[in-house]
Amino acid sequence: MSDELGRPELRGLREDVSVPVLPDTGRIVETAPVKEPQTPGEWIRLNLFSGPFNSLLTIVAGAFLIFAIYQAFGFVFLNSEWRVIQVRMKAFMVGPFPLDEMWRVWLSLYLVTALGGFSSGAAVRFPRGRSLMVKSVAVAVAVVIVAYTAQSVLVRSLVAIVPTLFIASNAIGRLIPPRTMRRIRLWGWVLVFPAAMFLVRGFDGVPPREWGGLYFNLIAASVGIFASFPIGIALALGRRSTLPAVRGFSVVVIEVFRGVPLVAWLFFSKFVVDLLLPPQMNLPDIIKAFIVMTMFSAAYVAEIIRGGIQGVHPGQYEAARALGLPTTRLMALIVLPQALRATIPAMIGHFISLFKDTALFAAINVTELLDASTRLGLEFIGQEAQTLVFAGLCFWAIAFTMSRWSQRLELRLGVGER
Amino acid sequence: MASSARSVRPPLWRDVRVLRVAGQVAFVLVVFFVLREMYLNATFQLGQRGRDLSYDFLDSRAGFGVKEHFIDYSPNNSFWRVFWVAVTNALAVTGVGIVLATVLGTFLGIARLSPNWLLRKIGQGYVETIRNIPALVQIIFWYTAVILAIPRLENSISIFGFAYISNRGAAVPTLRGGADFGPWGLFVVAAVVAAFFVRRWRTKIFDDTGRPHYRFLWSTGTFLVVAALGYVVLGDAFTIELPEIGLRNLVGGIQVSPEFAGVLVGLVVYTAAFIGEIVRGSILAVSKGQKEAAEALGLRPSQQLRYVVLPQAMRIALPSITNQYLNFWKNTSLGFFIAYPEIVNITRTMTNQAGHELEIFSLLIVIYLGVSLAISLFMNILNRGVTLRGATR
Repeated sequence: MSDELGRPELRGLREDVSVPVLPDTGRIVETAPVKEPQTPGEWIRLNLFSGPFNSLLTIVAGAFLIFAIYQAFGFVFLNSEWRVIQVRMKAFMVGPFPLDEMWRVWLSLYLVTALGGFSSGAAVRFPRGRSLMVKSVAVAVAVVIVAYTAQSVLVRSLVAIVPTLFIASNAIGRLIPPRTMRRIRLWGWVLVFPAAMFLVRGFDGVPPREWGGLYFNLIAASVGIFASFPIGIALALGRRSTLPAVRGFSVVVIEVFRGVPLVAWLFFSKFVVDLLLPPQMNLPDIIKAFIVMTMFSAAYVAEIIRGGIQGVHPGQYEAARALGLPTTRLMALIVLPQALRATIPAMIGHFISLFKDTALFAAINVTELLDASTRLGLEFIGQEAQTLVFAGLCFWAIAFTMSRWSQRLELRLGVGER
Repeated sequence: MASSARSVRPPLWRDVRVLRVAGQVAFVLVVFFVLREMYLNATFQLGQRGRDLSYDFLDSRAGFGVKEHFIDYSPNNSFWRVFWVAVTNALAVTGVGIVLATVLGTFLGIARLSPNWLLRKIGQGYVETIRNIPALVQIIFWYTAVILAIPRLENSISIFGFAYISNRGAAVPTLRGGADFGPWGLFVVAAVVAAFFVRRWRTKIFDDTGRPHYRFLWSTGTFLVVAALGYVVLGDAFTIELPEIGLRNLVGGIQVSPEFAGVLVGLVVYTAAFIGEIVRGSILAVSKGQKEAAEALGLRPSQQLRYVVLPQAMRIALPSITNQYLNFWKNTSLGFFIAYPEIVNITRTMTNQAGHELEIFSLLIVIYLGVSLAISLFMNILNRGVTLRGATR
């Protein structure tokens, strides 16, 4: 048989291949793919021993893994004295911060915790399955570390407030309608840093030279982000400007600050800045370092925002022009809101790397976390391995949590999917 | 109408053309006066201390020793010389490091996409751990907790008597040129040329007849035969110098100091995690049809990767990898913290010896930017080589 063009009919072929027809009834049978039950044995064969090369890889990687776990186990449980962490805990967390003023730090911590719980209330459901397992292991490890390091009952109870507060604010967060929530969350995160700064500086506060430990790292990274934001926007707009003088200036500033490593800039702040400023200014070292770090960070922020601006569809400019908006309002009302929204994940990434970079403040004698963990004094000489692992763990926990958060945010904002 | 529109110009303070020029002039003036103010402050304060702004001091005697240098140096050399020692030290770490980091990173990226579950998870664990810990913490950890903890000089770890590892450094054998080293160099050049032609010949045979080319074996063999011939003919081309354990240090061979090793290992491990992520992303970005087509042609998985997927992934990865190289170059400054004599470290010592903070810092800016620019340029040329012909950027 053939159709009107003389092509052989394809009926048989078609039916054979895609839609099986039962011979007795002629009824079309739906053949949905059936998920085969996978036994552990099958899974192992499929994922670990699917061929000779794969098996070899598994054996080599497995041997390596067992070796690494063996070494790590020996380091953690057998060969190391961990008392140094316990004794030096205060130095690691807050450095030379006066003990009488510690309530400022605790309050800031509670503020951030409450806000974190509050804003995760609407977004995050209770973890299930594997995520629950991973999270409970993480929480268990954290509890063990805190229980071991917190020496007094007072510190333990102060620490215990943190999870309680988180759960409570999380529950409150769930009750609020998402639309209101979104606004509160945004303003909350914008205002939390000024509030924390007020907590530490207000009411006869603690001067910057007495900040230290992990607390200092967090403050420095936050200063770097918040203060560099307006400068970064200005530099980004400057780099996109049609005025050659402005553009050239922005390019030079951005490239010079990005091209020289932060350690060098910190030394610049300590030894060179004074020469360039009027002699009577006499700024404290930390403030100069913060200013220079802000410029360093602003150069990166500018590049991130420039990327965001370039990602705004040209039609948006044309539409705004067609409506007769002048350039300033075009930028402020049309372009920047869209550009900044798209840059949020990259900003978090920058915040993470800036947070990691704050370890470099050790170069100018700030007792931040890394510095505290390399100056152990005579009693604990030679125990840097333990303290460095602890410092690494602190940096890791914060950076990792934030990168996960940024990944989720990226999914929710749908960046790169338009 | 048109002529009247042309003749009526807006008043000067609303004329965009005038405003643009005036705005820029004002901007330049502001920048100029700020910079002038800084310059005056600097000269004033330096004048008070009886110093001036000049680069002449660079020719005077540096007067301090440097533990590790790849170019000749003694404390009697000038500040210029010691600055170049610093630059070459930083370049040495960068040069070795980016090669190692690229290799390790590529393997990591491939491992993270492997069908082998265990390998995939190890790769993931590596990346998630390493990326989120500051490079500086890692470098200090490698240096104090690992490298300084390896056995002391007397009990150096010996690798079959050829290489030694101790906490005073490591040493591997090297070639020491003899009397006929120069002429032997000509043989080496000849060997390279011969290997090149043999390779072409084998490729042609493969293209014409389809018989296996084995061109790698053939060309390497040719090179070795010609070079060995030169060695035999000349008699005293070179000797292989084996390192030995001396009284206070390892002697002979190529020496690697613990500081160099610390910066190198720390940065390679750190950067490889980032490069791994880039490679993984780029492999995923290669269209799935390419791999399927390669599979349909009957290529083995390793061949699919080697000939089809990786070359295209490299094209996507190159700009991001360039960024990582630039980061690597800047991160050598972290060597400061473990007393590796790189640029920040040496310029700090120079400042302590000679003052002249401003001048020295300006040198530092120029060298960091200059090398960054050179790396970018080189990578751009490489990039142009691999971009699709006729592709728009």
